[in-house]
Amino acid sequence: MIRVRDVVMQLAGGGHTLTVLDHVSLEIPDKQTVAIVGPSGSGKSTLLGLMAGLDRPTSGTIEINGVELSSMSESALAEFRRDTIGYVFQAFHLIPTLTALENVAVPLELQADPRAHSRAAELLMAVGLGDRRQHYPVQLSGGEQQRVAIARAFACRPPILLADEPTGNLDSAAGRQVLALLLDLHRDVGATLVLVTHELEIAHTMERVITLKDGRIESDRFLRPEGAAGGPP
Amino acid sequence: MNLFAWTMAWRETRAGWRHFVYFVVSVAVGVGALVTVSAFATSVERTVTREARSLLGGDIEIRTSRPLSAEGQAVLSEVQSRGYRMTHVSELIAMAAVPGDAQGAPAGHTTQVVELKAVDPAYPLYGAVGVEPAQSLAALLGVRDGCRSQPCPGAVVQESLLIRLGLRPGDEIKIGQATFSIRGVITKEPDRMANAFSLGPRVVISQAGLQAAELVKPGSRVRERYLLRAGGDPVLLPLVHELRGRLAAESARVSTYREAQPQLKRFLEQLTRYLGLVGLTALFVGGIGVATTVHAFVREKLQSIAVLKTLGATTPLVVQIYVVQALVLALVGSAAGALFGLSVQGALPSLLRTTFGMDLLDQLEFSGRWGDWSGFLVVAKGLALGVLTALLFTLWPVLAIRDIRPSVILRRLTVQTPDSGSPGKTRFPAWRRRPTLDPLRVSASAVILVGLTGLAMWQAGSWRVGSLYLGGLLGAVLVLHQAARWLIRGLRALPPVRSLVLRYALGNIHRPGSQAVGVMMAIGLALMVIVSVSLLERALVEQVTTTRPTDAPTYFFIDIQPDQREGVLELLHRHTGTSGLEALPLLRSRLAAVDGEAIKLEAEQELPNDRPDERRRAWYQTREYVVTVLENLPKDNVVVSGTWWTPGEPSETPWVSIEEEAARSLGVEVGSTLSLDVQGTVVSAKVRSIRKVEWSNFSTNFYMIFSPGSLEGAPFTYVATVHTEPGQDLPLLQDMVVQFPNVTGIHIGDVLDGFARMLDRLSMAIHAVAFFSLISGVLVMATALSATRYRRLYESVILKALGATRSTIARSYASEYALLGLIAGVIGIGLANVLSWGLLEYLFDLSWSFQPSLLVASLLLTILLTVVVGFFGTYGILGRRPLAVLRYE
Repeated sequence: MIRVRDVVMQLAGGGHTLTVLDHVSLEIPDKQTVAIVGPSGSGKSTLLGLMAGLDRPTSGTIEINGVELSSMSESALAEFRRDTIGYVFQAFHLIPTLTALENVAVPLELQADPRAHSRAAELLMAVGLGDRRQHYPVQLSGGEQQRVAIARAFACRPPILLADEPTGNLDSAAGRQVLALLLDLHRDVGATLVLVTHELEIAHTMERVITLKDGRIESDRFLRPEGAAGGPP
Repeated sequence: MNLFAWTMAWRETRAGWRHFVYFVVSVAVGVGALVTVSAFATSVERTVTREARSLLGGDIEIRTSRPLSAEGQAVLSEVQSRGYRMTHVSELIAMAAVPGDAQGAPAGHTTQVVELKAVDPAYPLYGAVGVEPAQSLAALLGVRDGCRSQPCPGAVVQESLLIRLGLRPGDEIKIGQATFSIRGVITKEPDRMANAFSLGPRVVISQAGLQAAELVKPGSRVRERYLLRAGGDPVLLPLVHELRGRLAAESARVSTYREAQPQLKRFLEQLTRYLGLVGLTALFVGGIGVATTVHAFVREKLQSIAVLKTLGATTPLVVQIYVVQALVLALVGSAAGALFGLSVQGALPSLLRTTFGMDLLDQLEFSGRWGDWSGFLVVAKGLALGVLTALLFTLWPVLAIRDIRPSVILRRLTVQTPDSGSPGKTRFPAWRRRPTLDPLRVSASAVILVGLTGLAMWQAGSWRVGSLYLGGLLGAVLVLHQAARWLIRGLRALPPVRSLVLRYALGNIHRPGSQAVGVMMAIGLALMVIVSVSLLERALVEQVTTTRPTDAPTYFFIDIQPDQREGVLELLHRHTGTSGLEALPLLRSRLAAVDGEAIKLEAEQELPNDRPDERRRAWYQTREYVVTVLENLPKDNVVVSGTWWTPGEPSETPWVSIEEEAARSLGVEVGSTLSLDVQGTVVSAKVRSIRKVEWSNFSTNFYMIFSPGSLEGAPFTYVATVHTEPGQDLPLLQDMVVQFPNVTGIHIGDVLDGFARMLDRLSMAIHAVAFFSLISGVLVMATALSATRYRRLYESVILKALGATRSTIARSYASEYALLGLIAGVIGIGLANVLSWGLLEYLFDLSWSFQPSLLVASLLLTILLTVVVGFFGTYGILGRRPLAVLRYE
């Protein structure tokens, strides 16, 4: 369960204060698939980042599976992310100096998993990149990089998966492939999936769509009952 | 330590090894300099220790400044009867001359000052004398046919004497009253004390030959050495104490081979210690390179670090990754440096011999081989210094990792470092701003400071020198840093330049995130060391060579006997036309007591190094004093306490006037009583005045001057100085040798040239080590260029896309590097002047002078260097085609 309560996020800069999130509250039960949509600058990515504990809100609280993030130290937050959250970025953010296999293995290694490499190899196989293990990110296409990033996000089988515009940097074919992969893995692992997007088509594959505008929730709609996420359109 | 940290460290290094070449080389250069110096020091010291007996020539040495009395001889005979072997060696300065009718001598080179050594058949007790042809020394020196029809004693000489006088083995040479036949060339002499400073070539004759030469007269400058060798390896100290007691009346210094070398050892120790500090400077300059590399690396890794944090790596874990990486790279660099130092070691002796012509290495059985743990210790010390320095310089930039927020990857952010200015304009600062007094940073700085102090003291071997060095270095670094920042700020404040080339060059220096300050510090520091050494050397050499007044004496004649005084003065007057020449009476003496308290003779050698005041006191207590008797206060002497005696003043007690420093070190005041041992007779005198002496005025100066009449009947010899015009000196010397064979004429120019040569060798050695700092400085610049390479590439293609030609960009780069060199040069050279001024004024007591040619040359060379290094660092960028680069953006 993700519980966001009365979160305000303000950023200071250029002599004035910018309110990115303005008293946002919401709850996401386990295993739900949620799309957060809205125009640029509406605070979507910031909200997702706060859910992952990548930053702290100016006020309000965020609670994940009963744990309040704002009370945790930075190191505790890092370990919490390692065990609980998988994160997929729009810009993939693979570590350029590591091979595809090593990139996927990092979270497992952080958990000191002795089978990190063989599990990473299995995951790469699962995302269809079994033959690209020893390739470096620059040697992969955008779609392939994002599939590696998804494999990395799922490596520790986290209960919560957060994806920030996962298809934003991809062409439509690769985007569809990546989305299908996310949904498949969600089904297999049974994780909560929160996805930020500005494409309504993608949003409509989720069970629930939250629309943000100017840092506030404009609407919160359920498209289909829980546990019945649709396939790619 | 976490296994993950090691794995990641390896992966990061694997991918970025090009980056780390500079890191590794920066450490390697510094460690290489240090290991070279300390490996050399260790092997020389080992050799000196190993050959201590043959360097002294025996187990025990008894040294006096006059032949032993009959009683003294009896003591030694008694000791010999206990199973000790003994040899008697006499050493003195003398004139060698080619006999009048000898053929083959080049015109005008018929006399030569030599270092004469007379030995007996038992010599040497340890080691072997190298002679060509290989015959026994006793046979070569004995009396046999050879001098025309008459039998005469033999001599073996250093080759340089044959060259200077144009002689060959078999020729004759006249020393004092005797003629010797040159029977061989001496190639190795085990007990010739390592001496960078020598007055002339060595000539070895027999004791019988010395007697025949009639050179040793009362008061002659002769060093008598009696050497003893025990059978087996007995305890020597009881005998030493016994001899000191029984030979007290002879003013003899008795020492064992263990204590005999401290002078040499101390000289080597100090030389290598200071060279080591110069080497340490190279390592610290390399440290700046390490910091630059790590700083640039962390900045480049901003995204990856944020990703790692997002994936669940804690900050301490990420810091660990980069610390592990720095540790391993530092080890690799240090090992490479140590390897370099050791491999140079093998070539060093021959290199030094050819470069410096050091007598020392000729005399020692020197080898670059390692047979024990000392080599291991040198390497271990080099590794430790390298790793610690690298870690110290890594600490600060690696700590910045803590401040990277994982949220940095939420947007494409302007990458801002904490030190690159204007954080307020960035909406999403990638780095958290910390208060300046962040506890971890403060403690890291403290660790760095303590670490640096420890390293400096370790290298210096003394906390005083270490902290002095470090204080100076930190001061210089601070000044360099501030000066560089101010100058860069000044550049920024300049009104806009119209030329694009220059504007772009200026912009590259003062833009946020520019590495100019680090580069200027590194190059400025290296330059400071090198230019200071040059300035010091030049000032010292100038002091002894060019500042000599034109009418200053050119020759001094020593060992003139009282009955020869008039004759010598008359001869000097006849040859030079100078009238009113005088000869100063000289007396060789030692201090016997101060205010009735007897002086212990061996004090100095037994004192530890870290008590400089006591050492100085002991030096003044035990040295030999050449004293004189004068009616008037010599020129350039100033009485600072007490009064000078009035001419003709009747005195019941003898008076003495003592030099200021000596008085202070001996604890003597006006009214104190000094007792001097003059050739076995103790003379006491009351201190009447204390003088300040201008030692560098090229006159004959004295620590102690006695009042007229106070030393009646003492065995004086006389010294006369004279100024000769070119062409006068050769006939003068020839006549002198014929009429007064025991008088030695020493050319002051030769002595000063010898001094200048010695300074030159020393400064060459220091320059050689300081050169490592310059390499490090250049490396820092190369590092900084490589760190900004991508940015430059990107900008250059954009400029090209906008229509800039390759030459525009090249000129702009060249202006930037020249400006960098100019600023670094001005600051470094400025500091060098301050440093050398301070050292000259306060340490050497000499005046500093402005050296425009040296400074301008250094500045131009620096600019040339930065432009060349910059060119090699960036010329690859110039040829890149815009589209090929932009496609990857």
